[in-house]
Amino acid sequence: MLNSIPVLLSPILAELEVGKHLYWELGGMKLHGQVFITTWLVMGALIVVSLFATRKVERIPSGIQNLMEYALEFIRDLAKNQIGEKEYRPWVPYIGTLFLFIFVSNWGGALVPWKLIHLPAGELAAPTNDINTTVALALLTSLAYFYAGFRKRGIGYFAKYIEPTPVMLPINILEDFTKPLSLSFRLFGNILADELVVAVLVLLVPLFVPLPVMLLGLFTSAIQALVFATLSAAYIAEAMEGHGAEEHG
Amino acid sequence: MTTLWFLATEKGGFGFHFDLLEANLINLSIVIGVLVYFGSKFLGSTLEGRRNTIEEAIRDAERRQSEAKAALAEQQQKLALAKTEAEGILKQAQENAQKAHQAILEQAQVDIERMKASAAQDLSSQQDRVVRDLRQRVVDMALADVQERLPERLTGDIQHRLIDKSIAMLGG
Repeated sequence: MLNSIPVLLSPILAELEVGKHLYWELGGMKLHGQVFITTWLVMGALIVVSLFATRKVERIPSGIQNLMEYALEFIRDLAKNQIGEKEYRPWVPYIGTLFLFIFVSNWGGALVPWKLIHLPAGELAAPTNDINTTVALALLTSLAYFYAGFRKRGIGYFAKYIEPTPVMLPINILEDFTKPLSLSFRLFGNILADELVVAVLVLLVPLFVPLPVMLLGLFTSAIQALVFATLSAAYIAEAMEGHGAEEHG
Repeated sequence: MTTLWFLATEKGGFGFHFDLLEANLINLSIVIGVLVYFGSKFLGSTLEGRRNTIEEAIRDAERRQSEAKAALAEQQQKLALAKTEAEGILKQAQENAQKAHQAILEQAQVDIERMKASAAQDLSSQQDRVVRDLRQRVVDMALADVQERLPERLTGDIQHRLIDKSIAMLGG
């Protein structure tokens, strides 16, 4: 989709690489290795922080335990707001994983000087700036809301497609495709665009000028993580509740 | 100022690539500095507040627990007291009942004795009266019989003899 665009502005400054990947061959599949490396790093960071936070659980939380409890509370409130008091609890882990993974990926991509590490091809960046990652996450959300809908309403979940009128059937079916599409492209586009803008600005004016854009990028990244998690929760809630014929609430 | 060195020999390998400008190090350190400075302030106060709230809540809960415990102990003491009191009352009542029982029995015994005595007395006095009546009647009947038969048997001749006999007895 995106071809290599070597932007050679000056022989001193390096080229800007887009669409170049570190390919790993695995059973005939070409994997984007740099994405995997950063994904594992993000996962590792999250796991290590979680382990540290829960290693010595105190009654009155302090330090990292307090911070992680604060994060958990935030995620729980997010899920509760979207899904509702009655059903939200089993979905907290999923929503929380989405939020934390995307958030740490985005901020990791924006804050860690990945360019210090040189790869044979491509360069390390936020995992979410690769469309494969975001599509995977969005498809997980699709699976999650189908599962939620079928679990809650059984075969009656299909009634959702002809609500409020059967005329809406094509649009409702289309929605199942547009949801993951919009989710994945929104996240991917925002993160990639942010990184590109920063990279281009850094190429043009290396010092101080990219700062506002970088700060803005941090803000956008956080918001995108929030949006992804919130929308996933909202889709799950929608699948469980249906448009009309609410049994509760 | 480009410093390049590779852990791998070729340009294509993995390596460490130190370039102050290209790696955007200055900007990143500024951004991280800003983030740490403001973030730690905001996050610090938020987390401190959260910690204080939790501490407060725990202390409050503990205080209420101890209060409840104290109240429970107090009430249990009261309960024990009431139980002993109830036992005392029960014992007292049983004693009283026993006493009343005894008293009533004794009274009844006394009454029976008295009634028996009075009945016996009654019987004997009745008997006496009946005997007296009977005597009276026998005497009356005998007198009447005598009076009835006296005139026909007490003739002049007999009267004379009687008087003579009496005189003879007197004079000898």
